[in-house]
Amino acid sequence: MLKVVNSAIPVACWSCSVKQDEAKLFCPSCSKIQPPPGADYYAVFGLEPKLNLDVAELETEFHRLSRKLHPDRFARASEHEKDWSLADTALLNDAYRALKDPIKRTEYLLQLSGAQIGEQNSGKDRRDPSRAPADLLEEVFDLNMQLEEMRMARASGESDPNLEKSLSEAKAKFEGLLNEVDTDLRTQWTAWDSGEESAQAAAQKSMIALLDRRRYLRNLVRDVTEVLGD
Amino acid sequence: MAYSDKVVDHYNNPRNVGTLDKSLQEVGTGLVGAPECGDVMRLQIKVNPETQVIEEAKFKTFGCGSAIASSSLATEWIQGRTVEDALAIKNTDIVKELSLPPVKIHCSVLAEDAIRAAIGDWKKKNGVAETAPAATAEAK
Ligand code: FES
Ligand SMILES: [Zn+2]
Repeated sequence: MLKVVNSAIPVACWSCSVKQDEAKLFCPSCSKIQPPPGADYYAVFGLEPKLNLDVAELETEFHRLSRKLHPDRFARASEHEKDWSLADTALLNDAYRALKDPIKRTEYLLQLSGAQIGEQNSGKDRRDPSRAPADLLEEVFDLNMQLEEMRMARASGESDPNLEKSLSEAKAKFEGLLNEVDTDLRTQWTAWDSGEESAQAAAQKSMIALLDRRRYLRNLVRDVTEVLGD
Repeated sequence: MAYSDKVVDHYNNPRNVGTLDKSLQEVGTGLVGAPECGDVMRLQIKVNPETQVIEEAKFKTFGCGSAIASSSLATEWIQGRTVEDALAIKNTDIVKELSLPPVKIHCSVLAEDAIRAAIGDWKKKNGVAETAPAATAEAK
């Protein structure tokens, strides 16, 4: 899913042979379509790897490039160019999806800088105690038990107003916690984007912990919402 | 993602789902989470104070099919073993038995963590040193 290739190696355009420092979707010299650059998602958009990002601008650029890559435009082009228009479109879509969402973007950039996070990770650094928020686990587990009770009660046609009330209080609480995590993440973004090495290392550590915590909260909010409705 | 037959079997027919009374002296409880995905698992053991054999194991997992299968299998494997024997179970054994794909390896790690946490809790409760045999295994 994630391929990181050094995009700073010079590549020559297949059509005009002009060398470019960075692989792009289109040749800056002759404007011809290029094979999918094996670069990171930021480079696809010609962006600096930063966490603070103007999503409106990203969207505009996405639509502009999507139009330029549209297979209809290559109806009379060579087979290669036809294939590339499809492959480039797929890459562009992946890049857009990963970058427009603030959480996916954070995870992506952390992975790009070597952090072991996400479901692909084999969990080998699990025993790092900072990754196990014990108090949160208790709460998450208890709430899951209550949710199960609630589902069972519902399935047998019963209603338990007390349980319902405590669940909706829990929902509000965990939504609040989720918002706090998101606010904290944004604070770390700026530290990361400063590019200063020690600040970046500290921010990376904080963000990994925040993202860990966030996955538990996200699951919980999703499940409570599913049971209670919005 | 296609689950292996063994995962499907444990998922449809999980063994040993349930709860043991965590206030009991001979019961150890492990509550663990997978930061990779936010799934949680509780595994409990009831240990014979004389023999240190795990007589009963129960689990409750809120998570994916592979995590449910891994914990179900883990309870099957540890029942009848001594706590030290149970500690020898590695997540890679679970991966092999259930043919888990790479993205599901962390689900098996969760089960191994749960076994360790439950045994750790039992040892702490019963004043058992980390590897030495029971020193003060007081009966209930
Ligand atoms: S997906 Fe995380 S425990 Fe299975
Ligand atoms: Zn060119």
